[in-house]
Amino acid sequence: MATVTQRRVGDPIYTQSRIPQPTPSVLTTSEELRATGDIMTVNFGPNHPSTHGVLRLIVDLYGEDVTGLEAVVGYLHTGFEKNMEQKTWWKCITYPERIDYVSFQNNEYVFVAAVEKLLELEIPAKATWMRTLLCELNRIHSHLVWLGTSALELGAISMFWYAFRERDLVLDLFELVTGERMHTRYFQVGGLAEDIPRGFYPEARKFCAWMPKAIDDYETLLTRNKIWLVRTQGIGLLSADDAIALGQSGPVLRGSGVDWDIRKDEPYLAYHQVDFRVPVYPEGDVYARYRVHMDEMRESVRIVDQCLDRLENMEGEPWIADDRKVVLPPREELHTSMESLIHHFKIVTEGFRVPEGEAYVAIESPRGELGCYICSDGGPKPWRVKFRAPSFVALQAAATMMQGALIADMIAAVGSLDTVMGEVDR
Amino acid sequence: MTDFDAIPGLVELIDAHGETTIVVEREQLADAAAHLRDEHGFNFLSDITAVDYLGWGDAGVSGYIGTPAGRDLNTPMTQGYQALPQAKPKRFAMNYHLLALRATRPERVRLQTWVDEGEAVATLIGVWPTADFHEREAFDMMGIGIDGHPNLKRILLDDDWDGHPLRKDYPLGGEPVRFSDAV
Amino acid sequence: MALDGKRLRDLGLNSERLLMPAKGPSNFEEEVNDLEQKLGLTTLEKAVAWAQTNSMWPDTFGLACCAIEMMAIVASRYDIARFGMEPFRGSPRQADLLIISGRVSHKMAAPLRQIYDQMLEPKWVIAMGACASSGGMFNNYAIVQSVDKIVPVDIYVPGCPPRPEQLIEGIIRLHEAVKAGVPPAYELRSVAK
Repeated sequence: MATVTQRRVGDPIYTQSRIPQPTPSVLTTSEELRATGDIMTVNFGPNHPSTHGVLRLIVDLYGEDVTGLEAVVGYLHTGFEKNMEQKTWWKCITYPERIDYVSFQNNEYVFVAAVEKLLELEIPAKATWMRTLLCELNRIHSHLVWLGTSALELGAISMFWYAFRERDLVLDLFELVTGERMHTRYFQVGGLAEDIPRGFYPEARKFCAWMPKAIDDYETLLTRNKIWLVRTQGIGLLSADDAIALGQSGPVLRGSGVDWDIRKDEPYLAYHQVDFRVPVYPEGDVYARYRVHMDEMRESVRIVDQCLDRLENMEGEPWIADDRKVVLPPREELHTSMESLIHHFKIVTEGFRVPEGEAYVAIESPRGELGCYICSDGGPKPWRVKFRAPSFVALQAAATMMQGALIADMIAAVGSLDTVMGEVDR
Repeated sequence: MTDFDAIPGLVELIDAHGETTIVVEREQLADAAAHLRDEHGFNFLSDITAVDYLGWGDAGVSGYIGTPAGRDLNTPMTQGYQALPQAKPKRFAMNYHLLALRATRPERVRLQTWVDEGEAVATLIGVWPTADFHEREAFDMMGIGIDGHPNLKRILLDDDWDGHPLRKDYPLGGEPVRFSDAV
Repeated sequence: MALDGKRLRDLGLNSERLLMPAKGPSNFEEEVNDLEQKLGLTTLEKAVAWAQTNSMWPDTFGLACCAIEMMAIVASRYDIARFGMEPFRGSPRQADLLIISGRVSHKMAAPLRQIYDQMLEPKWVIAMGACASSGGMFNNYAIVQSVDKIVPVDIYVPGCPPRPEQLIEGIIRLHEAVKAGVPPAYELRSVAK
């Protein structure tokens, strides 16, 4: 083991690392290839049908071989973190949803969980189970969008229609519960915004009965499809050590053979009380990540079923915490109780105050480890909010994955990272 | 909890809300990081967060803090007086959220170092290659220099952007909205 | 499922159109009718407008959350292939309609204008969602407060994100306006100040 002072920037931390030097996220064309004069630099501009949003890739091509790759991001930079510093804690909750706009409820949850950590609030069981259920439905939604768009980019155009058919079913469930298809703003600090409506459980059961058949349909189309196999196996290779060194998480990490899932290893919500399997595939290519996504969808349906089993027996239980300093009192009380009126007034006008401190909460979003760091000065507005976006980190792996690859593989490889540019740029 | 006392440059260890924060001297950040990776097994860098504490404590925190335990009559300055948060040593804090990714007993820790205006931190790309984008973002948004970073350019904003938006003295921007005080 | 002689309201359908059978056309429909009479398009112009409307191909300009709902209108439930708009062209040179779906940051403003300039006339722009229409909830340094500061906009579709039906309503209103003879926005106004 090298001693600390001998290590310099640019030294690989272990042998056989394929991470480019000196900059891990940039693949540079070698000098001798450049000297041939045959290098063509192509700009996969921010507006491109296959780059999952506004990602710009500057690619050096030697014929069809990719010799240089640099990702330029920031075309969707929204200034979330600065905006959230100006809003009260309650009003902030609408912002994280739009960061990763495909798995919006996971973003809501991570922010709300960080606030609840600083407040040290007790969340009622019904809210915990419902949050678990919605986060898992959101995982299905996110994987469906990924599947539809990635397959579309590789030419399997029908998959888009199949995947979005089920996606509309998931969004119907969200609309039933929260009133809004996307960006539901249903999680509150302390629990849920409202009680679960009555028609939800039968509809969710219908969905859970239907979804495994739909996943079977997708697998019939793709999993042993010769064209799909040739286009995804052996493409975009990333070893387990490289994946950990590059900070990868989620399906990218599990597709490289590392058994790490925050839901199992650092459980949050109700994940330690449900039974599910974590799919891990060792090959480290696009096909492995595809298999991880498909298996995760199946496991999510099982989790939703188990949550429904519990929730159906929780009629009439509270869905939000009792602490009136943080949670709005029920409207009926405002007519009779002076304290409730004052609490309501204070919470709505000034906002509740979160004790001074800092907290970092990490959850398993469909893309990987989604983290939220908040720093509070004890006031009604956040001092600093930072989101650790898995896609931001995943893009760094693109350079490593694209070594010795062809241009057509770049679409498959970058697509398999499941990047959402809202997250990358925040 | 593992023994963190042998970390080079250790200033203090803070334990709050179930999280451990290791504060180190800025000059020995790279050594501390490599020590944590090699001796304690923190092989995964989750996140680098830069925080600007300019103006910290100017808005006093008065009276009641919302906790389920209620107001603590024995804690000074919680009875409606202005309570000020504790002062910070320097203007910027660089927080490195680390994870020991192992099957048994995974562990998370926050490595923290304090930086003043104009000072720079060493790059940790040699320790965790994933630090690349995160350090560029800290430079772009907060203006904290990173010594030794091979590709220190702006990442989220235009290359010719002026200023560092997440600093507290940078305005929010946008347009004024009529009849609305809230931004 | 046959209605068996029942009226729709007996089956629980209480939409406005059924409850107020004497209700006339909406404001928009009346204005479009008036406009059509005033502009007095020739048959040839009407035919050209009809053709443009029924085959108005959008450009793939999905930026953020609204892009996911824009993809939903291509999907089978809210199929816009019924309106002739299924082929989303990758190249702006082949596209007629630019649906700006999502928040436009200052860094993206230049590519947006470049894409718009590359489109051939006649071209229309729909600002989809609150962020494209006015900056949305992001009134800050990073987001352009309404894309009409960069390109002239024909239709603004509110929502965050707008439901697919809302976006289709916006598209249909654009079609009706075009059929009535309303010129594209670049002939009527330039960009906002």
